[in-house]
Amino acid sequence: MFGYKAPGRTTGAVAAGVAIGLLLSACGGSSSSQDSASGEIIEDGALTMGLSAEPANLPAGKDTGQVGYTLNALLHRGLMAYDSDGKLTEGLAESYKVVDPKTYEFDLRPNLEFSDGTALTGSNVEQTLEYLSDPDTAAHAYGGLKDIESVEVSDEDTVVVHLSQPNNAFLQYLAVPTAAIVPPDALTGGVDAWVGAGPFVLEEHNKGTNMILKRNAKYYAADEVPLETLELAFYPDGKARTNALLSGDVDLIDYVPWEDFDRVSSTDGITLDAQDGPFMYLHFNVTDGPVANPLVRQAIAHAINRDNAVAAAFSGHGSPLSGMPVSEDDPNYDEAWSNMWSYDPDRAKELLAEAGYENGLTLSLLTSSQYAFHQDTALSVQADLKAVGINAELNNPDWAARVEQGNAGKYDIAVSGNVGTVTDISYISAFVDGPANYTRSFGYSNAKLNDAFSKAMLTQDPGEQQKFYDQAREIFAEDVPLTTISSRAQGYAYANTVTNFKNLPGFLSFYSGYSLASMAEVSQ
Amino acid sequence: MINFLLKRVATGIVLIYVVLTLIFLMLHAVPGDPAMQLLAGDGAAQVTPAALEAARERLGLNAPLPVQYWNYLAGAVQLDLGTSFQDGAPVLDLVSERLPNTLELVLLAVLIALAVGIPLGSVAARRGGFVDSAISVGTSIGMSVPVYVVGALFVLLFALKLGWFPAGGYEEAGGNFVGHVSRVVLPAAALSFGIASIIARMTRSAILDNYRQDWVRTARSWGIGRRLVFRKHVLRNSLTPVATVTALQIGTLLGSTVLVERIFNWPGISALLVDSVIERDYPVVQGIVIILSAIFIFINILVDVLYGYLDPRARVS
Repeated sequence: MFGYKAPGRTTGAVAAGVAIGLLLSACGGSSSSQDSASGEIIEDGALTMGLSAEPANLPAGKDTGQVGYTLNALLHRGLMAYDSDGKLTEGLAESYKVVDPKTYEFDLRPNLEFSDGTALTGSNVEQTLEYLSDPDTAAHAYGGLKDIESVEVSDEDTVVVHLSQPNNAFLQYLAVPTAAIVPPDALTGGVDAWVGAGPFVLEEHNKGTNMILKRNAKYYAADEVPLETLELAFYPDGKARTNALLSGDVDLIDYVPWEDFDRVSSTDGITLDAQDGPFMYLHFNVTDGPVANPLVRQAIAHAINRDNAVAAAFSGHGSPLSGMPVSEDDPNYDEAWSNMWSYDPDRAKELLAEAGYENGLTLSLLTSSQYAFHQDTALSVQADLKAVGINAELNNPDWAARVEQGNAGKYDIAVSGNVGTVTDISYISAFVDGPANYTRSFGYSNAKLNDAFSKAMLTQDPGEQQKFYDQAREIFAEDVPLTTISSRAQGYAYANTVTNFKNLPGFLSFYSGYSLASMAEVSQ
Repeated sequence: MINFLLKRVATGIVLIYVVLTLIFLMLHAVPGDPAMQLLAGDGAAQVTPAALEAARERLGLNAPLPVQYWNYLAGAVQLDLGTSFQDGAPVLDLVSERLPNTLELVLLAVLIALAVGIPLGSVAARRGGFVDSAISVGTSIGMSVPVYVVGALFVLLFALKLGWFPAGGYEEAGGNFVGHVSRVVLPAAALSFGIASIIARMTRSAILDNYRQDWVRTARSWGIGRRLVFRKHVLRNSLTPVATVTALQIGTLLGSTVLVERIFNWPGISALLVDSVIERDYPVVQGIVIILSAIFIFINILVDVLYGYLDPRARVS
């Protein structure tokens, strides 16, 4: 404009500086994992896992979500455990004996130690099981361990557990990662359970960045743990986690975002391992209002187009579910459990008319904006309900507010996602009975349903058991304490330098830390 | 000047008190129970009323609100910002771990923005024509594209496609300096994108404005060379508004780190703030907000001092 020559020196210097910076930085950039595709297994290798959250704490026995389960499986062991096929196996117990349906005897492995060098004895088992079965502890595995009546240490290495009533899933509950045996100071409150008797020991915690775990030389099967070092790098953002894997920054990630499934699975040198496990459902406040009427709940169950919900919330990576999921390995498996309510808008309208709402009704629908899949499920349900004459008003706060409103029953319908603590069919009873909880229908109680579940769990006769579970299923379908929408695929993904890691099947997907600890290897 | 500074510091302290009070009241007003978050987290734990009550008592949430407020205030004046509800760590420790990471990101972003924005604005003003138009279009785009889009594009291009940089994460500079630098470049560059455009436009406009002044014509008539007039007079006078805008933009940059730290998995204070809000970790949220407010107020005071240095008229007034 003024006829001057451009001040080339200034811009040139900036450009050169930026270029040098880029070059310098690029030297430090990590190369793609695909370049170092599988070779020989590295003995005592190191693996970096992108973890979906940073554990702020690790309170003994508590449910702190998937990251908590993973850490418990890495740092701790219970009397029982799961192998990498999801089969129940012995943990700290070398063997066990079912003396009678209410008495279990466990022989501990010899010379057990916690990672800090203190001995792990029968007394530790006794203290931990008493802690976990105390209702005030609010333990994750309480649903199955509440039946513990007493624990007897017959000698330092033998523990006898007496139950108040038979519990067919008792051994499974002992294998839940949060049912680990921990040192006494972790049971008194205020002290996190970082010290354990598991395959790894926490060496370093760089807050906001990572945790460095080293193989625990005092673990009873330390020589069977392939990895020497396991870095857990925190990637709370799903996209950042996926990008870290694809760029080779990490070897393995958990909780692959559903919208990234196709991108991950189509990338050479990356394996996506997804299992249908957790499920989404609607539950109700049945204390008053229209949804206190089972006919309205049935109408809602029939109004939902579950295929649409799977597409909206999980990019199609899940399965429609119109009943409670039961493992096909379960002796009481019956396909009828998974097919209770067909998608039938006309039937839904008939039921609403029968209930006296032929002109439609307005209900509040509680979900959470913090998790896109909760929100998207709610939006899909909202559209389906509108089609049968139900105006569902969305209440979409963040998770903390969602929990508070759920506990206080401030909703008509709420969206939840959950998973059974164990794979045994008895897990269903925890969804229909117990004190108010933000994941269960508010004010719901059905004595006949509870009775059928109780009898099924108490009897040792398979025929009788089947009969009671059938009764429970029929009541469930008619009374609709909750209605399921879909199962969702829970995915891990890893570079081809990682071998032998397995996402455990079904509900056990969240416990895949067991496989990571005992099987995963890295190669060159 | 001293009186002026003292007045600004006193105003700053009052502002921090107001911020502290507001954030305290707002946190307690929003739904969500910190005790429940502590016990249940993201899981679906069955929390008994007794366990919940015990946790509330331990966290001091059962005390009347005025008592909680007084306790917090009493701690804050002694620089005790309390301990995290989630992991029991002192808030000051958490902040001092994370704040340097965010400041590093912001300062580097400002340096990049200045290094790119001032030359671009100068070239646009002096060249005019097509170059000016091209830079104007470029800076318009730079100002209008959200930082999360820029960040995501940078990851796709420089990390996943070209493989020049890691996609994110953090390494201690002391442990691996090159690794550290390689991880800070992309987020800082993404953060600087918008502010570099603003600086370029501000520089251009200020230079054009100064070129129209009589004193430029006078200087030229005395025989002073164009380059010298530009460097010594025009550019220096043009940098005054640039410095002001840059300093004020630091507040915006601090806000943008909320997104950038998430995209690049950078363990800064903004990521901690978001996590703490989600967990209803009152002491950590309050502590971070107070410290960020103090930084912002400090920057504003610094701007005033800088303004006085760059423009003697302001110093006199």
